[in-house]
Amino acid sequence: MPDFVVGLSLPLGFVDPAPIGQPTSIQFALLILAAVLVACGVICSLARLKWDENDRLRVASKVLMAAGGAMALVVLIWHSTTRGSWLPVGDNFDALIWLACLLGLFLFYIQGRKPLTGLDWFVGPIIVLLLVGSVLFGAREYRPYGHNAWQWVHRVSAYGGAVAFAIAAAGGAMYVIVSRRLRQKGPPGKSLGSLERLEHLNVVSVTLGFALLTIALITGIVQWSSTKQAPPLAKLLLALLAWAVYAIVLHAPINPRFRGRRAATLSICGFLLMIGVLIAVQFVGGSGR
Amino acid sequence: MNRLLLLGLNHTSAPLAVREKLAFNTQQARAATDQFRERFPEAELVLLSTCNRVEFYTSRPVHSHPRVEELIEFIGQFHTAGAEQFEPHLYTKTDKDVVDHLFNVVSSLDSMVLGETQILGQVRDAYDAACAAQSTGAMLNPLFQRALAVGKQVMRDTALCEGRVSVASVAVDYARRIFDHFQDKTVLSIGAGKMATLALTGFAALSPGKLLICNRDADKAGRLAERFNAEPVPFDNLSDHLVAADIVISSTGSAKPIITRDAFARIVARRRYRPMFLIDIALPRDIESGVGDIENVYLYNLDDLQQVVATTQNERAGATTAAKEIVAQQLQEFVLWHRQRAMGPMIDRLYKRYQDIAAQEVARTVKKLGPLDEQEKSHLEELARRLVNKLLHDPIQTLRQSDAMHGPAAQYLHAMEQLFKLNAPDGEDEDDLGQDPTA
Repeated sequence: MPDFVVGLSLPLGFVDPAPIGQPTSIQFALLILAAVLVACGVICSLARLKWDENDRLRVASKVLMAAGGAMALVVLIWHSTTRGSWLPVGDNFDALIWLACLLGLFLFYIQGRKPLTGLDWFVGPIIVLLLVGSVLFGAREYRPYGHNAWQWVHRVSAYGGAVAFAIAAAGGAMYVIVSRRLRQKGPPGKSLGSLERLEHLNVVSVTLGFALLTIALITGIVQWSSTKQAPPLAKLLLALLAWAVYAIVLHAPINPRFRGRRAATLSICGFLLMIGVLIAVQFVGGSGR
Repeated sequence: MNRLLLLGLNHTSAPLAVREKLAFNTQQARAATDQFRERFPEAELVLLSTCNRVEFYTSRPVHSHPRVEELIEFIGQFHTAGAEQFEPHLYTKTDKDVVDHLFNVVSSLDSMVLGETQILGQVRDAYDAACAAQSTGAMLNPLFQRALAVGKQVMRDTALCEGRVSVASVAVDYARRIFDHFQDKTVLSIGAGKMATLALTGFAALSPGKLLICNRDADKAGRLAERFNAEPVPFDNLSDHLVAADIVISSTGSAKPIITRDAFARIVARRRYRPMFLIDIALPRDIESGVGDIENVYLYNLDDLQQVVATTQNERAGATTAAKEIVAQQLQEFVLWHRQRAMGPMIDRLYKRYQDIAAQEVARTVKKLGPLDEQEKSHLEELARRLVNKLLHDPIQTLRQSDAMHGPAAQYLHAMEQLFKLNAPDGEDEDDLGQDPTA
């Protein structure tokens, strides 16, 4: 996440990173390969819609996605080595790969604990987009981030929140589809998980994401307020809007009218706003208006 | 000579809203049969009313009553419903088509759920009720006895009933789409009849946290609760039970909905919009359809569930073909048996009558001709007999070869009865008409 502020470094023991290097073409190539592997894994998973009983497809999907994730991790490690800093989320290239890897880990955790058929179909494409985005932005808009403690906390919490919101959006989309299928009263077809579980996934993810986004907003505002620069309006407004949307989602226990399909739809809207924030960061950086 | 007439509607011709309007419960069916007998004393009736169909199987003397329009008027009057509400959904069948239809119905080939065995019992119950009301006779008795035998044969000799998906199992499958676990869920059954028992069997297997049985008849609720280790609860507090319940199975015999949209909206608010799965397997429906529009409420009625069951059973085409073959064969046998039963005595009477006339005329001629030897007399008698045989040969052959059970053959027989004055004396033939010797 680009820094709002130059300066305001808290004495948290972080050291200034070594000079950051542009990612190499081999790193880009590996990352593209990782994106292709994950995309193939998603396609194999989707093919199970047609060939439900095919266990090979299931295994192939898992292997391909794991290989893609491993490849992305290799690039991340390599890039950190060449950059000379192991501190994550040090530039926009590294940040998007971290985001993709975190999403992948979250996905493997959920699928390993209690599989939720169809989660791959929604989270997988987001991972692919993030990997492709890191290639594009790394090549054309590569920007190292500042490394004081406020900035680091701001970025980590913002990206962590985005991961949680991506999962919430995937769960929300699945909730809307399952709910719609139930209302249409057609044959049950392939299960995408129960509404109860999807709602639980949505609420947990939004709660986690909301907390992280709140931290990101506070740290961002603190950084901005300590500078004389103009606020990054576009980013700030989108982030505040997303925060408000998720606040409504979390409002459901108080006003239960917002639970279920409405909360799921709001989660999707919130994630779209978060994507807007990420894009704003890539294009306009911390000082974008 | 009687003719068969069927007037009815089923799941393919009429939506649930129309079917439930015309449905007859046991008491109504009895009352309708009595009224029918009063109004059409010459006719026979079996009234079959199930969740998926309402059918009037009647038999009446040729050119007698009821006719189709009279039956429609009768149904409309009984249910105080305008004919325009249900007439477009009705189908009528006559004679051989009635037999074909009934054999298909009883074999579950006309059911929404292929291979369901419940229909056999429902047809038997309808027939028994008609027998008890003395509304069956020479035509419908053998027809229904044969139909029940056909149904049994199909269930026994084909794979139509094997591996079938039941309404209860589909409902459980949908419940799994809504809820992740059931240990903390409450299942409420409103009603304690057969359908409730079937559905509860499926849901009890999910080991829900609580199983409540709510019924107007507390004893019945208690008996069912004992069977499923459930808790019987009073019907008066239904609203409170609905607030607590996550899954509701409703199958009462109420003529009007017991759960209305407005009342339920308040219940949903009281339960803080937690998702709710409602299964309405009653006919007429217990739950207003508008309830399903409320957020986080998933309402499925019998039609919804049966449609799903039906679409999952396409792969059983082989068993369907075998069942259809049995029905076709039995139909031919019944038609043949019936035709012989109807024609035989009449043809015998026809020949006897005309041979008698011929014999009388020969005797008169012999008297006029004066003394004849035995050989000449025998020649004359032979001449007369051959004349009668040849004159009757063509009409009899036409009659025998007529294809339909009551189509042309029935008309010819009736015409012959009238033209040749062959009406049997009262009571003749009646004793053995009630039994189908091949059934």
